Amino acid sequence: MTESPPKVLVVDDAATVRLYHSKLLGDAGFHVAEAANGLEAVEAALTTAFDLFLVDINMPRMNGYTCVETLRSETVGTPAPVVMISTEDRPGDADRAYAAGANLYLVKPVAADRLVRVCRMLTAGRGDAA
Amino acid sequence: MGLVRRKPEPEAEHPKPSVEQLDDPDPEHRRQAALGLEGVAEAVPALLDRVAAEREPQVRDAMLTTLAAVDSPAVAEALAGHLASDDAALRTAVAEALATMPVSVPAIMPGLLTDPDHRVRVMTAMILADLPHPASLMWLSDMIRDDPHPNVVAAAIDALLPSAGPQHAELLRGAARRFPDDPFLRFTVDAALR
Repeated sequence: MTESPPKVLVVDDAATVRLYHSKLLGDAGFHVAEAANGLEAVEAALTTAFDLFLVDINMPRMNGYTCVETLRSETVGTPAPVVMISTEDRPGDADRAYAAGANLYLVKPVAADRLVRVCRMLTAGRGDAA
Repeated sequence: MGLVRRKPEPEAEHPKPSVEQLDDPDPEHRRQAALGLEGVAEAVPALLDRVAAEREPQVRDAMLTTLAAVDSPAVAEALAGHLASDDAALRTAVAEALATMPVSVPAIMPGLLTDPDHRVRVMTAMILADLPHPASLMWLSDMIRDDPHPNVVAAAIDALLPSAGPQHAELLRGAARRFPDDPFLRFTVDAALR
């Protein structure tokens, strides 16, 4: 029986960031989908069981914190790990991310190999990408 | 003899709400009040005072919609102060509002482009992505060429790309040369030039 690769949802309003992360993770063997804001991410999570979420913070329509809170709420209730990745490096940003339900907080720019390593670690056992 | 009830004055077809209604406990009443105060100059300070404290996103969006319609330098400057807010929902909502204020935002743009906080400059790139102003592309180009922070340059490139043409190729290559150790910028520039 062949396992399918872990499914990752890249959530960022910046098209270039979505493209970059999708390319990195796609090349590493992940199945990648994209959402341009938190609302799109929540909609996608309602219909697809993702294995990992990569979520920006500053986004229109629904910001990253609200997105993660909604992903963790009863409405969606996903148990999948969430990595918040942002340009925001104020002292309280990571705390807010963890309070919202994130598993890891990374500040951009993140080295490509580190991002892939983190995603593999967080999805270990969820597919055969690693 | 009983009191004679004075016949009420005929009400205007759509009476304006009062500023006090912005403090109504019912969020829907506050939202209606915020929208109804559009065009009421005396309400602007009250709206500016409350926009950061309002916790209901729909009410805050209504306040910002009404404030953005004013499109005055004072409103733009006051709203821009929230771009550095710790509240992600507030700063992104304010950026969206400022992007709809093409009359007044240009006056505060020099200050935003040189703000010492790189996160404010990232938000400025988000504003310029949608600001319908003939100088928007020039300001984004300035950021790409001159800003010292790679995240700001990346945000500016992302904002510029939908409108970028061959004339921007050297600008983009220059950004990649300025940050040779940033793989994201290199990837972005390569993708843009393809």
